[in-house]
Amino acid sequence: MNTIALVGNPNSGKTTLFNALTGSNQRVGNWPGVTVEKKEGSIKYKDKQYTIIDLPGAYSLGSFSEDEIIARDYILKGNPDVVINVVDATNIERNLYLTTQLLEMGAKVVVALNMIDEAKAKKIEIDINTLSQKLGVPIVPTIASKRKGIEELVSKAIELIDDNVDYKAHISYGESIDKEIENIKAVLSKFDLDYPTDWVAVKVLEGDPYVISKLEKDYALNKTSFLKDLREKEEDYELEIINKRYEYINRITREAVKLPEEQIETLSDKIDRVITHKFLGLPIFGLIMFIVFQLTFAIGEELLGGYVAAAVEILGAGVENILIRINAPDWLISFFIEGIVGGIGTVLEFVPLIVVLYMLMGILEDSGYMARAAYIMDNIMRALGLHGKSFISMIIGFGCNVPGVMSTRTLENKKDRMISILINPFMSCGARIPIYLVFISAFFPNHGGIILFSLYFLGIFIALLMAKIFSKTLFKGESSYFIMELPPYRMPTIRNVLRNMWDNVSEFLVRAGTIIFFVVALLWVLAMLPVGVEPYSQESILGKIGTLIAPIFAPAGYGTWQAAVGLFSGIAAKEAVVAILGMVYAGAQEGTALINAIQSAFTPLSAVSFMVMTLLYTPCAATLGAIKKETGSLKWTVFSALYSFAIAWLVSVLVYQVGTAVGLG
Amino acid sequence: MLKEVLKKIKDSKYVSKYHIAKELNTTEEVIEQIFSDLNRMGYIKEENTSTCNMKCSGCSFSSLCNKVPINTITITEKGKKLLNRQSF
Repeated sequence: MNTIALVGNPNSGKTTLFNALTGSNQRVGNWPGVTVEKKEGSIKYKDKQYTIIDLPGAYSLGSFSEDEIIARDYILKGNPDVVINVVDATNIERNLYLTTQLLEMGAKVVVALNMIDEAKAKKIEIDINTLSQKLGVPIVPTIASKRKGIEELVSKAIELIDDNVDYKAHISYGESIDKEIENIKAVLSKFDLDYPTDWVAVKVLEGDPYVISKLEKDYALNKTSFLKDLREKEEDYELEIINKRYEYINRITREAVKLPEEQIETLSDKIDRVITHKFLGLPIFGLIMFIVFQLTFAIGEELLGGYVAAAVEILGAGVENILIRINAPDWLISFFIEGIVGGIGTVLEFVPLIVVLYMLMGILEDSGYMARAAYIMDNIMRALGLHGKSFISMIIGFGCNVPGVMSTRTLENKKDRMISILINPFMSCGARIPIYLVFISAFFPNHGGIILFSLYFLGIFIALLMAKIFSKTLFKGESSYFIMELPPYRMPTIRNVLRNMWDNVSEFLVRAGTIIFFVVALLWVLAMLPVGVEPYSQESILGKIGTLIAPIFAPAGYGTWQAAVGLFSGIAAKEAVVAILGMVYAGAQEGTALINAIQSAFTPLSAVSFMVMTLLYTPCAATLGAIKKETGSLKWTVFSALYSFAIAWLVSVLVYQVGTAVGLG
Repeated sequence: MLKEVLKKIKDSKYVSKYHIAKELNTTEEVIEQIFSDLNRMGYIKEENTSTCNMKCSGCSFSSLCNKVPINTITITEKGKKLLNRQSF
């Protein structure tokens, strides 16, 4: 029985065509020795049966994957009488690479120009006659999904079985390579190879590891042979040969294929010219971020903010009633009201804002703008003598510093990596947002956007400044050079944006629900002890710890034990700060919402100073863990914890003292 | 075409596969393939900043990895050698 093999790129519609050809006459097995699925079927044409083999999908016939090796071995060892090459008409030039390789093998090929309807819809004009002539193979347009062109394809393929025309493509790879191929062929002619000699010669020059190891093993063409000489020549044979293939295809498609002129891209060009402009790029980036923060407040607080707060309140009151009704012990009620409602509940009230912020950031990312932002910053960082790639990890750090620190793995150079790791925590992560929001609600309810914006940019500024200082002092040396890819602009998909947002928010909630719970529980116990002391008073263990640390923060304007305890808990997790503040204030003045308590404990200036501290001080335990893991050094982890604290303290004190001096206090 | 692409990468401030495709009269898919060929042969190094496939044993941050990675391209020593050797 004659055999017809189907070969084509993944997604070329090969399997659809196979199903259209064979119907239910299919057998599924495995290729010998591998786990790749082998599909076989049969068709009847003019009273004769033909076997059809569906070869694994592949973009080329090299030896880079099992699929490729199976496909080419099957074709080369003379199994199929004819090969149907399924070509995606909407992506013809790329698909023809495989076709070219088939022709180099000398296979009898019929091209099924599939999805021809989609190509037409995309206004791709294909001159099938010219294409067929230039390639030297018959081409049948098909629409496999609608079973169109199948009859003609089968008849063309079967016609070819008895045809004795030489279908081999004769591509010239350039004078010197052609000569080298002849040399190799001369050597190989002494052996009885499984494969066509000229094909093997080309593969040897391409450095095909599969073919070379076969030659070395099966034909004892070992180290003393010409293979070694070839390797030592260090010529770019592989590149040259692939290059010629692409040129060969490009010459053909220039004549036979006309692509539509796309207008949308010129708009994208115009946008890019402005957005990535040398001087305009940065202000535009700033403006976009400013709008993002403004919208965050407009939508997140004014539209949605009230609902969660109300829900937390109602839920809290409900559970409290139940607890009282079932005569729960006082300590449990206290823990629930002050710890859970006052603490975690306060954090939850800010979830709507975080949801909106992440949604807007997701839209920016998905549209392709973030790559432009990274490009603009790359230019600035290079001007500072730094590495641009670290800005990408900085952008990731806006979500969470842990993946931000981890993403520095792509920096090969130690200097770049260390600097990127050490500055990443200055990027304001999502967990810090509730802290800003509490203070903004208390003192600057109408200027939330600009304050959030200023904090984020202060973070970037300090990060860049420190990077510059580190590269001048601790880590000298050259930065590696890379080029960034600007992807085409895309319309953000609701699905992606929502998914991304959900990941961020659910992560936030999980941490709010677990780590904060433990921190709250631990500190609540400390606030109750020793037995007999007034809970949440300065005499409690918690109060004593806070009082011990508090003087450090006095010059910054918030030398209270509550603030000190709040900041201290932030080293465990930044989400915990608001929860702890909520707990200690709710416990001290019964029924007082955190915002009122803060209004009496802080001034607008010390609030700003506290926000700056929060932005810059010691990263959370998880981030420190990531830093330890990525630097592999306890010394640098400790350094990171201490130097960021020192900088935060300095800037915070500076803000407060200068502010007081100019009369803002 | 591979060498032309390499040259274009070297001469540009940023890489736009779309632009390279237009300039070389081909499609983005072909340029995509050429990039991966050049990467495979070691003339360039293509990287992205996705942290989604990184293992961070037991950490709960995997969902926070960045899903819209930014790609970067570095011309390797081998690539630079080729560019120096060839006169275009």
